[in-house]
This record gives sequence, C-alpha cells and structure tokens, in this order.
Amino acid sequence: MPLTATLPKTNEHGFYEMRMESIGGLGANVAGKIFAEAGVLGMGFNGVNFSSYGAEKKGTPVKTFVRFCDPRQHIRIAAPVEFPHMLIVFHENLLATGKALTHGMAHDTTVIVNSKHPVDKVREVVGMCGGGLGVVDAIGIAVDEGSRPNTVLLGAMTKASGFMDPEAVRRAISHNLAKYPRMLPGNLKAFDRGFQELELTEYACSIKHPPEPPPRFVSPLGYENAPMGGAITNPGNTMLRDLTPSRTGYIPQFFPEDCINDGHCEYTCPDYCFTFEKGIDRKGKEGMINLGIDYRYCKGCLRCVQACPTEALRKAVEDEDYVREHTVPQLGRKEW
Amino acid sequence: MEANVNFDPAGICSLGTVTQNLDFKSGNEMASLAARQIDYHIMGFYPITPSTEIAEGIDEAYAQGLCNTHMIPAEGEHSAAGICYGASTAGGRVLNATSAQGLLYALEQLPVQSGTRFPIVMNIVARAVNGPLDIRCDHSDLMFMLNTGWILLLARDPQAVYDMNIMAPRIGEHEDVRLPVAVVYDGFFTSHQKRRVAYIVSDSDVRAFIGPYRELQSSVRPEKPITIGPYMNDPDLINNKYQLHLAMEAAREVIPQVFAEFGRLTGRHYPLVDAYQTDDADAALFLLNSAAEVAKDGADNLRAQGRKVGVISPNVIRPFPAAEVQAAAGNLKGLVICERADSYGAGGGNLSFEVKAALQDLDGNRTRCLSRVYGLGGRDFYIDDAEELLGLGLAAGEAGKTSEPGKADEAGAAGKKAEPREPGTAGMAGEPREEWKTGGPGEAGKAADGGQPVTELRSFDYYGANTGDPGLKLEHVTKPIPADKTRQSLIKVEQDPETGRLKVRTMSVRAMTALPKRIAPGHGACPGCGIFPNLNQFFKGIDGDAVVLFQTGCGMVVTTAYPQSSHRITYIHNLFQNGGATLSGVVEMYRERQRRGEIPAERQLTFIMVTGDGGMDIGMGSAMGAALRDHGMIIVEYDNEGYMNTGDQLSYAVPLGTKTTTSHIGPVEKGKSFQHKDMPQIMAATNIRYVATSVEGLSTDMVKKAAKAQWYANHGHLAYVKLLSTCPLSWRSKEELGTEVMRAAADCNFFPIYEVEQGFTTINYDPEQRNRKVPLADWLNMMPRSRHLTSPDYRQQYEELEAEIERRWLRLKEQAASERL
Repeated sequence: MPLTATLPKTNEHGFYEMRMESIGGLGANVAGKIFAEAGVLGMGFNGVNFSSYGAEKKGTPVKTFVRFCDPRQHIRIAAPVEFPHMLIVFHENLLATGKALTHGMAHDTTVIVNSKHPVDKVREVVGMCGGGLGVVDAIGIAVDEGSRPNTVLLGAMTKASGFMDPEAVRRAISHNLAKYPRMLPGNLKAFDRGFQELELTEYACSIKHPPEPPPRFVSPLGYENAPMGGAITNPGNTMLRDLTPSRTGYIPQFFPEDCINDGHCEYTCPDYCFTFEKGIDRKGKEGMINLGIDYRYCKGCLRCVQACPTEALRKAVEDEDYVREHTVPQLGRKEW
Repeated sequence: MEANVNFDPAGICSLGTVTQNLDFKSGNEMASLAARQIDYHIMGFYPITPSTEIAEGIDEAYAQGLCNTHMIPAEGEHSAAGICYGASTAGGRVLNATSAQGLLYALEQLPVQSGTRFPIVMNIVARAVNGPLDIRCDHSDLMFMLNTGWILLLARDPQAVYDMNIMAPRIGEHEDVRLPVAVVYDGFFTSHQKRRVAYIVSDSDVRAFIGPYRELQSSVRPEKPITIGPYMNDPDLINNKYQLHLAMEAAREVIPQVFAEFGRLTGRHYPLVDAYQTDDADAALFLLNSAAEVAKDGADNLRAQGRKVGVISPNVIRPFPAAEVQAAAGNLKGLVICERADSYGAGGGNLSFEVKAALQDLDGNRTRCLSRVYGLGGRDFYIDDAEELLGLGLAAGEAGKTSEPGKADEAGAAGKKAEPREPGTAGMAGEPREEWKTGGPGEAGKAADGGQPVTELRSFDYYGANTGDPGLKLEHVTKPIPADKTRQSLIKVEQDPETGRLKVRTMSVRAMTALPKRIAPGHGACPGCGIFPNLNQFFKGIDGDAVVLFQTGCGMVVTTAYPQSSHRITYIHNLFQNGGATLSGVVEMYRERQRRGEIPAERQLTFIMVTGDGGMDIGMGSAMGAALRDHGMIIVEYDNEGYMNTGDQLSYAVPLGTKTTTSHIGPVEKGKSFQHKDMPQIMAATNIRYVATSVEGLSTDMVKKAAKAQWYANHGHLAYVKLLSTCPLSWRSKEELGTEVMRAAADCNFFPIYEVEQGFTTINYDPEQRNRKVPLADWLNMMPRSRHLTSPDYRQQYEELEAEIERRWLRLKEQAASERL
C-alpha cells in the first residue's frame, strides 16, 4: 500500500512537529500516542511521540510531542519540539500561565484551543498574529458524549492538520480503547464532533516574523549562588505557586452567611486554602472565624463541600470573575 | 496496534529472513515484548521510575495468558536481586529491571551473580543517582556497573531495546561466557519515547534464535549435589576472577557472532562501535545512547557546512571494545568524549579514561581528547548542543595534541577559539539561548569579545552548567514558627498514675484552626489527596518545635520540587530504604550534643519520620531497627495502599485480589495474590511503647494519637502511627469522598482503629458497638480499582479477604479484652 498522504510542511530536519500543552489527567499523553500511532501505523509515516514526564501527579502541567517524517527517514532526535507546526492547548486555564505555553509559534503555526470562548477572544489571549486558530469546546462535547476531552481534540487536530486520515485516527482510538469497549462509541462520536465542529480561522499576518525563540530554561540558581548540597534555604516558598490550572471546571463557593465556623473545611482541605482568624461570630461570640478560600491553591477537589454541615460551601462551575472577587489571599498574611 | 505486514513503506520488516511486523512502541514496551516472547521463568523486581513499566507490561501479559513468567514483587531492589540470583541458580531464565537508586541498592548482589557465573538479564533504564533526587536520565547509575563483571549492552532507541533484549540471553548463556547481561537504555528519552519499531512476529522464531536454556549447574538437583558460593580466600580468589576475566574475553568473541546472526535474521546489524562519518573526519564526539543519535543530526548539519565531523557511540561497553574505538577514533585530530556522569575528581567520566587509554595504546596517535560532562539529570540534548561540542572537537584538533603531560590546558588556552556558530543558524537566537549554549564553567561567562564565547580547550569541563543570576534574592515568604504558637493549653497529655498510660484532652476542631500549619500551601499533590489532610490533622497534635524526615514518596515529591519547598519546619529527605536509620542518627546526635552542652539540655525538639506504605515495605527493616533500638522519635505512615508516586504498583499493604499495575486481573491472574501486611502488629511485636492507627474523619482521634506519640518520643521512646490515606487518582474514587472512603475502611474492619500502648490494646472505634458495621463490599465498591472483587468471578478472593479481616479483628478484640495479650 502506498503512503496515503504527504506532509504539508516540514522543518529543516524533515519533520512535521506538534506540541500539546496540557495538565495531568486531561489525556494529552494518550492523545499524542493515538495521533502518532495513526500516522505511523495507519498512514505509513515515520514518527515519534513522547511527553514531558515527571512524577505521576494529576493536575500538573504536561507537554506532549509528536513528530512525523518520511517513512524512509530514520529518527534520531530525542529533544522536545520547540517550533511546532501545530500547537494544541488542552485547557484554557493554561493560557493564563503566559508566554512559555506558546513559545516557538511562527506566523503560520496552527493553534487549537479547548475553550468556550469565541475565537477572537482566544486569539487575543494567545497573542497570535498570523496562522490558523481553531477553538473547540472539548469539555462541553465530552460531557455531552460521555467521552474524554482528548478524543474531541483528536478530531480537531485531525481536521486542522489537513493531512491526517480520520479513519486512521478512528482506528487508533478503537485500538487504544480496546480494553474499555463501553467507552468506545462515545469517544468515537466525540472524535467525529471535534472533527466536524472545528472551524479554523486563518489570520494573515502582515509581517512574517520569525518564531519566538524558545526559552530554554536557565536556572537563576546556578552553581555560584545555589546553596550547598541542593538545600532550599527559603522553605515555605511553594506559597508563591499558582495552582489555578490544576482545576478542571469546578470550584467550591463560600457563603459566609451560612457558615458556623466549625472548622471542618480547614480540617479536610488537602491544599490548605482556608483562612481562619480570631473574631466575633454572628452570635456575638468570640472564636475562630472562617474568612474564606484562597483560590490560588484550590485544586477543586470539593472535599470542603462534602465536609460542610451547613451548605456554606457549595459546588459551582468555575467562573474567573467570581474567583477573582472572592479569593482570600494567604500570601503576605502575618501568620505565615 | 498491529499493522498489516505489507504496509511498510520503508520496507524495514523485510530486510531479514524472519517474518516481522511494524508497531509503534516505547523502549519499556519493547523490553516487555521481548521478555514476553522469550518467556522468562521468573522476574524478580521492585518498581522504580523510569523502569517500572517493564514489569507492569509483563504482568499484564501474564494476566492475559500471553506468557508464563512468574512475577515476584520484592519488597526492595536488594531482595529483587536476591530473588533473581536464587532463581538463576535453580536453572531457568531470569529477568530483572531497575534504575538509579534501585540499581545501587541491588549493587551488592551483582558481583555475586557474575562471580558465581549464573547468567540472567537485567534492563537498566538509566537515571540520575540521588541525592538530591532526580528521576530523569543520566548515566551515573550505569557507571557503577563497570566493575561488576556484567556484560553491558547499550540500546540507543526502542528498536535497539528490543533487539538487545533478544540477543542478551543468547550471549550471557553461551557456554564460554555464562555471565549476567545488562541492557542499558536512557530513562524517558528511550524508555518512554514511542517510535516505529519492527518486531519478530512469531514467539517461536524468537525462542529458536535463543535456544533452550542450558543448565550447567543447578541448586535444585538433589541427585547431583553441588556447593554454590564457597568460602574462598587467597590463593584461590584470583583464579576465580581470572576465569571471570576469560569469560568476558570470550564474550568479546561471542557478541559479534550473535550480532551478526541477528543481523541476518532481522536485517538490523549492530557493530560493537557505531562509527558515524568518521572515515575522513577531523573531529568527532564519543557519547552513549540516545544523545549519540541526536549528535548525528548535528554532525550532518556541520558536514553540510563543509566541516568534517562524525559521531562514535558504542553498542557494548563491557567488554570494552578498545580495538573498535581505536579504529574509529585513531585518525581523528580532535575527540570530545561526552559523558552523562562524572567520576568526581578524576578529571573526566569513567569512559573518558577508557577511550583515552585505548588511543594511548595506538602507536603514534595524535588525537586530542577533551572530556565534557553534559546532560546530567535528564537535561535535554539538542542538535545545536551537538554542533557546539563538535565545534569544540574541531578547535581541539586544530590546536593539536600537546606532547607534555599536564600541559593540555595551557596549550588549549593559547590555542584557537572555537569557531562560533552564527547565532540563529538553528533558529536558536535569543538571550537565554546564548547564555545556555556557552556551556559550563570553562565555557560560560567568558565572553571576551563582542559577546562571543571564548572556548577554552580545557581537557575536562562541564557543558551546560550555569552560574546563576547574581542579582537573585531568595524570597522568604514564611517565617519560622515560634514554638509557643503551637502550644495549646487545651491539648493536655497526662500520665494516668494507676496504669502509667496516657490520657489526652483535645480542643475542638474549630479551636484548632488557630494552630499554625507546618506545611505551607502550594504543594503539588493531586486534587483530593489524602496525605495532606492527614498531616494537617496529625501535626495539630504536635506541640512545639519539630523536625521531619520524609522518606521518598508522594508526600516528599510534591512538597520539595526544587527550588521550592512547602516545609516551614526543618525537613530532611532520605531514600525509603533508610529513613528510620537516618532519623535515628539525627535524634542521637541531638541528644549527644545536649549531653555535651552544645545544645541546651532543656530544649525540646520532636523528631518525626513521615513515610508511605511503600516506604514501610522497602524501609521496614530500617524502621524496625530504629524501633528495636527505641530511639525517641515518631514514625507516621500515610498508607495510600500502593506505590502511588510511581503509578499504582502493589504495596504489601494492598488487600488480596486488588488490581494494581503489578497485579493485573485477567483470565490467569486475579489481582494481588497475597494478604495485606499488618504493619501495626509487626511494629507492636518490637515491643515499642506506642502503636496506633487512625483515619481522618474520626473527630480528634488522630490529634490525640499524635499528642501521645509525641509524649513517648520526647520521653526517649519510638512511637508508630499508621494513617490510612485516600488516593483518588489510583483508587479512582471520587476526589470529594476522602473522609467517607476512610470511614468505610474502618467500618468494614479492614482498617481497625486502635492503639497498643505499653503492650495494652485498646480499640478506639468499634463499628459494631456503634452500629456502623458495613460489609467489606461497601468499601470496595467506593474504589473502582477494587470493584471487580464484588463480582462473582472474584468470590474466592473476596471471601478469603473477608475471612482474614474477620480473623484479625477477632484477634484484636481478644487482645483488647485481655490484660495479657
């Protein structure tokens, strides 16, 4: 069987390259595997796929890479993709993490974002000049179809690529879900919808600017100033982190008027998001008072909602404005 | 996914004589596939990233009936190596796989394996050696293998992982060789990258290539008794080692024969040393494994610019292919030996000296050799890095070889600058790039003219280390916790004058919200993780200053990702084989310094070791040693029922029949094959004064137990507390249901809540008395990973588990009822 398609563009090493930006748990790793497998075994390209692995943690940022090339080319490179032809953002919360996410974008990079927002707004956040931009509500479709969001994005990626055979990708999905036959129909439906519903908007860029140079991370703590032996001499500094991207759609909302300050939310919260302070409660008694949640650290597990005896904590769909207005920052408080 | 054999546009499957097929798999998957096809008798293993998937893959194949390999999950790598050794003496094929610290923990066993001449195969998935802990690739573990008497085959990509794994038993079992063989490949770069691969379709073709196992000596033939491993001093040991040397020399002959035969079979030919574009080269890089492949792309780029450069990379380093290195490198003017490991203080990594020694033996050799340590701890190696280092090799060649020993550096410094690449030739222009690529101490920060780096031709240097930002001020966002802040007049521990046992009065959950947290927010645990509510609640019961030691595990990894730490109080990590002993040392030094007056005698400091259930498998001996010595410290175990930091492998605490990534379910395998470990009773058997269990959600039970444990620790005794801890990721339970799942574990008596204080057992929460007893199934059904146990197919496992839980519970009740038990 001859090669069924040719790559629309390749870099100087002969590769069509893709980078998926995601967080652990959204299935980017599996999506990369399926997509690459479809290209290699289904369509005859040579290819490689890998992710930026760390420890097995849900909610931490992860990058997944795919490269395709001519079947006769032997693949040697093992380093990450820096200048993707296609960049896929698996969750829009990641866009808040800044430039590192979209580095290496060129004037003709195709970008796919999982978002509910309109394409022009997403373009603004991504900071795109030219190239193709496709926005798909992968979580919404996944909820409708009982699938995972990654199969929706696989559909979008297939469409946006212009060269991937949807049948090859569908076969790779079926193969990878062979162990879970009940999940297959929903995921294939989700794939089809991702494929059909993706609308790619092409933006023409007036200047054909070279891609943003990728920041190869240079640690500000080097061998001349890092404390001896790898010690961390300013511990407690994880407070500077922002774990907002770990959330995948839900937050606890706090209603102080229903709160009896019993402390069980603080007792059960894995992420230490609650602040209690000495004060006078609504009955005029002195005691510890719940001031609320620091959403900077909240991963949306909703244990506090479960623990609350009075419905002062309720599950709600995440809303950026609500979070901004209601967060009770802990950083800088005197108890730390 | 098995592709149609014909659909192979590059024709790579049809280059040999055997029927092959294409697939798309990672190095670890290919190691598993080869092992499954070989059908090893036994695999003894202990999970460690990034090698764990090998055992997982074989176990999964076993569960499905695809191979017969009996998988033995050891409690640590030392035992895994012991299991493998024992199994190999009993006359069958044996496999092991490990990485980094696991290799070092097993190290003591490896010369036993080679010295007594029992072949096995071990995959070493190369990873940086601790400390500090780094899970990614370098070759610092591999370098410890050089003196073990093992054959070392290298595999640069997933295809080579498969191929070397097929050839390894054939080489090691050869009657002239009879040595253990390690297949070494790069963690993550090769172990986890998925590539197009060809594999032999028929298992019988694989087995025909390897041949049947030939038993030369056996520990299980009573009709032919032999003594294995005698007491052998001088003058005999030197002869035993000379035999080993001869075996290694025989391997030098056997390996090319096996490689050649494999080449005819599959079309994939492996030389001992891969010499890429070296025939007319002026300069080359010598490096191992995945980076060597990257370097070839760099060499191609420079060749396109008319520079004559090449890449040399061995496929075997034991026996060391000196003649082949001479042939490949002998005519070069410059050679940069790049090593992913340093032999600190030696002036080069280990292989630098082996390569230099090989060239030294070559008459009239003029190759100028530089040694560069690069890519430590998994630092990515890009094509332009290879170009940079090749440039260094060209410059070294132009500067020429000094004839005066020890003058190499000066000759270099006086020599030429490296040809600087045009910035941006690889599209890599930009400020951070420039700073980074200028490399290590010798090459960094020496930009003398126009910002171009001066390349000093030091004979040895690091490539890729950076000085750091001199303007950086480390921000302190938390203050030390004043001891009096944690003292709460409402938590009181008193000794009952009659019984000598302790009574604790606690405050309300609400009042305890005033206590400062010893762990700051911002840690990276999964949503709904049980470790942090447990530690929050436990620490509320701890009064005053404390020092914690975390053994390796989730709790450690998510709180100390450099350069950030969540620990507001002093924290130490040690590997989980050894936390108990390490904290013993801390405690006893503190006490000794108090005795010497170096630290005020009245100063109270509580020492707490925090471990997972995995740490109490591999580290049980160390913890029990500390307990038997009765050092004044607390050991608190968060038991999340599995090795969750490495991806849900079974721990010994896991219930019978549970599905984990090393105890699959399928037609042949029925989940975990043995009953859960009863750690509290094991600790109680050391006769320490305080053992307790607790779960979150039982009001202040955990706080009281922490307070008691502290009292004993501060009176010079060891206390042990075990806390069950939810893992929504691996149990696949609902994130918000932490407390509820814990409560169900207690209510079905799987996890009884009790304490053993000075030998007396007290059940603190009796679900029967409180009318809360639930069937075991209620708890199991809350965790999708365990739901199968309530299906009819698993009735036997369910009933055995239920009976064991009941037996332990009844015994506990007897103990609680009796003054003597």
